[in-house]
Amino acid sequence: MMATVPFSPKAELFLARTFDAPRKLVFEVWTDPRHLARWWGPRGFTTTIHEMDVKPGGAWRYSMLGPDGKEYPFDGMYVEVVEPERIVFDGSIHASPEQRVWTEVTFTEQQNKTTVTVRQMYSFESDATRGARIGWNQQLDRLTEFLAEI
Amino acid sequence: MADQLSTTFAALADSTRRAILARLALGEASVTELAAPFEMSLPAVSKHLKVLERAHLIARGREAQWRPCQLQAGPLRDAADWLEYYRQFWTDSFDRLDEYLSELQEEDKLAMKHKGNKSNDKPGRTGRGTRPKRMPSSRRGETV
Repeated sequence: MMATVPFSPKAELFLARTFDAPRKLVFEVWTDPRHLARWWGPRGFTTTIHEMDVKPGGAWRYSMLGPDGKEYPFDGMYVEVVEPERIVFDGSIHASPEQRVWTEVTFTEQQNKTTVTVRQMYSFESDATRGARIGWNQQLDRLTEFLAEI
Repeated sequence: MADQLSTTFAALADSTRRAILARLALGEASVTELAAPFEMSLPAVSKHLKVLERAHLIARGREAQWRPCQLQAGPLRDAADWLEYYRQFWTDSFDRLDEYLSELQEEDKLAMKHKGNKSNDKPGRTGRGTRPKRMPSSRRGETV
């Protein structure tokens, strides 16, 4: 059974990337805290995993230390864990629990390579999303990328 | 007064207007040039251009005869900044994950060489359970 997003999303992001590694390994580095801390987050950030109970209903809690020395704590709960194909988790920025982020990750394998998709939905009523229509975000992203290439 | 971002988003909510912006990203163009790819009258295209102009997404030249349209990317960037943060988060994380996976698989190959294992057509899979057998901080070539 697929879980449904527990809020009405104000924005959405979808990304995919293919990795030259078998799915079992890719799933493992997403679900083992010692592995996850090694790659999670933007460059220049250090992630510390405080809690990571990878099972439906299990809690996760981590903080990212930015290059500016500022700490960004996040926490949430795993909703779905289907090894080795799918993880769904709900989360929020610790300081503003009303700002929720719903994340769905899928893993598919083909010829020893693994494609990971990330679909993220945001509950935020930020300036940028207020009044926006859901669905055009991806087009906007593509357009922005396109513009950046010029 | 509607705030700038709302105006920007409203202007971007239409696929014809997004197509016009994409065309203008290649360089300035006249209304006739912009209308060419669409099955649409010039006045209809002009209406779209007015919406884009009011949203400050484009600027138009002053010449009466030929008023070329130019892209004004400022408001577009502001609108994208917020999502851009998340996109950057994932782009960076994916890059790091890619490097980390190569590192892990390289380590596994080396570890197997050290152990003098026979060649295996699935390097890196031997002995790996659901939990890693070593700390990820282990260095290459370290004796396991």
